Amino acid sequence: MSIVTRGVNIPLNRAEGDLEVRVEIEDGVVAEAWSAGTMYRGFEAMMRGRGALDGLVVTPRVCGICSLTHLSAAVAALDAIAGVEPPDNAWRLRNLALMMETIQSDVRQSILMFMVDFANRQAYHDLPLLEDACERYSPLAGRAAIEVVRETKRLLQGVAIIGGQWPHTSFMVPGGVTSMPDVSKILQCRIIIERFIAWYERTILGCSLERWQQVGSVTDLENWLEENDAHQDSELGFFLRIARQSDLHLLGRGPNRFLSYGNLVLPEDTTVGGFDGKVSRAGWAEGAEVFPLDAGKITEDTSHSWFAPGKPPLHPFDGETKPYASGHSGQVYSWVKAPRYDGQVAETGPLAEMIIDGRPLFKDLIERQGPSVFARQLARFVRPAALLPPMRVWADELRQHCMDLFYRSVKMIPDGEGVGMVEAARGALGHWVKVRDEKISHYQIITPTAWNGSPRDSEGRRGAWEEALIGTPIADQANPVAAGHVVRSFDPCLVCAVHCLQSGRRTGRMKIDSNR
Amino acid sequence: MKATIICIGNRFVPADAAGPTVYDRLRELALPTGEIDLVDGGLQGLNLLPLLERGGRVVFVDAVSGFVDNDADRLVLLDGAEISTWPEQHRFDHGAGIGYLLAVLPQVCDGEMPREIAVVGIEGTYDAQLIERAARLSIEVARHGLQGSR
Repeated sequence: MSIVTRGVNIPLNRAEGDLEVRVEIEDGVVAEAWSAGTMYRGFEAMMRGRGALDGLVVTPRVCGICSLTHLSAAVAALDAIAGVEPPDNAWRLRNLALMMETIQSDVRQSILMFMVDFANRQAYHDLPLLEDACERYSPLAGRAAIEVVRETKRLLQGVAIIGGQWPHTSFMVPGGVTSMPDVSKILQCRIIIERFIAWYERTILGCSLERWQQVGSVTDLENWLEENDAHQDSELGFFLRIARQSDLHLLGRGPNRFLSYGNLVLPEDTTVGGFDGKVSRAGWAEGAEVFPLDAGKITEDTSHSWFAPGKPPLHPFDGETKPYASGHSGQVYSWVKAPRYDGQVAETGPLAEMIIDGRPLFKDLIERQGPSVFARQLARFVRPAALLPPMRVWADELRQHCMDLFYRSVKMIPDGEGVGMVEAARGALGHWVKVRDEKISHYQIITPTAWNGSPRDSEGRRGAWEEALIGTPIADQANPVAAGHVVRSFDPCLVCAVHCLQSGRRTGRMKIDSNR
Repeated sequence: MKATIICIGNRFVPADAAGPTVYDRLRELALPTGEIDLVDGGLQGLNLLPLLERGGRVVFVDAVSGFVDNDADRLVLLDGAEISTWPEQHRFDHGAGIGYLLAVLPQVCDGEMPREIAVVGIEGTYDAQLIERAARLSIEVARHGLQGSR
């Protein structure tokens, strides 16, 4: 006879946002899962009727972590409507800023939000590496935790230099960028990048970027780990060792379908390579088999969301955002819509990027083991290794071409529609925009977490991490750390919202109901 | 002493919009250049660290909860040194706020630590009068410090 426990809420501290995950447990494993975004955001409705350029200022406030990514998507949509091609230097600066934001997010998520779970003495009291994990990751005390805060802070100084303002820079505009850093500023950026590379190689990888790029299969990865003490003692090496002990490769399979919009437009004159004009490729993958992306196949399903009912799944150029929080109680359960590609559930994020770019290690990993918490988190750990070398090149190219154009004049935004599709740290981000009479007539945003954390669709298909939770063992319902690993491996991020300093009077505490 | 006022919060969420609303009022008041820097801190969390490495005095303005009774004054003045010791604030998340920021600061500061950190807190709903008082108090604390403002 099966033992069924219904309605267990998974505590998700450090998940970004108003997120509730409820599961049904049968015989000690998750049998059903429901992921609910619990706050209406409504940015799309807020944008309608505003000036055409307002998205550049408003949408970066959607998210305190990836504001530059929203800025990048917003400006790309306006570039498309204006029919302007920014000059090479603008692409270099836009890309550098976006890469800095992505890298700091990857490193912070890996160490401060994912690995810190292994310093959980209650859950991992019998883990042989527990003491080492605590020494590395304990909040505000762990060696790695402190180093990550310090080094990512230094990296972000580069954004301040590039954007000329910190925080809340809006230096990207249709036609290019508003900043023209001189040689000394570019040199400062180059030094910041170089210092970060040295730290990333020494601490995160334990080897050079070049050595890491030679790892092209699961066998290579195992050999790399055994190669020397530096590899084993690095944060990546420690992750590999602890992942093995805690069977992370068996957790969080998910839909095994992947989506990436591609990222980082290549300047015309550059030595950086890529795919179809971008550093990373746009595509759709089923397992490790990759197909070209057709953006026309993206739709949003609202059958299980608190939005006005009665409409079939719509493309975001036709999409509506009309909150409707009554009726069908129990069937509808989230303020997040359900984006689908050709009707299918998809996972997005660093693992999707690695697979769609055809990175041999991840192709081999997916073919051998399928997707998992391990594969997803490994991709996030090592994505900076792919981004840092182009950053070095573009900083050098900026120095060589610093007298060239940074901006092509755009006098006004004409009537029209455009889409900005980029890769945020957490995956595919799109802004679909229509402009009429120099005002925004339509704005739809699909965030990475809408893809990963979507509710069910009209066919009853679970969202990506709902699906990934199925089969997760729950040894202790009071401390379901494995379920936490699964959801956290997607780096959930809903709506930046309430950061409210709270006090329990005598004890005083900070409660962060953070939403994205 | 050089001072920085950093207003925290999300202007698009009413429950968290007190800081940005005070920011808007402070901009209207045109703070004296060179004496007080005014920053819209938004939701930047850890990304505000570089603003805390310049010595001087730092005044945060933010929404607070649980500090005052319903019938009491909903404007509070808190000492940053006390907040940084609250153990519940020592976990990082995407929305890491003032508590985590202040707790981690001494370990990662590359520049000069602030000589004093204060938080001007606004509890619950607010009106223009409360925002005005919060703006005036933040200027007062920026100029004269906690002791000079209590």
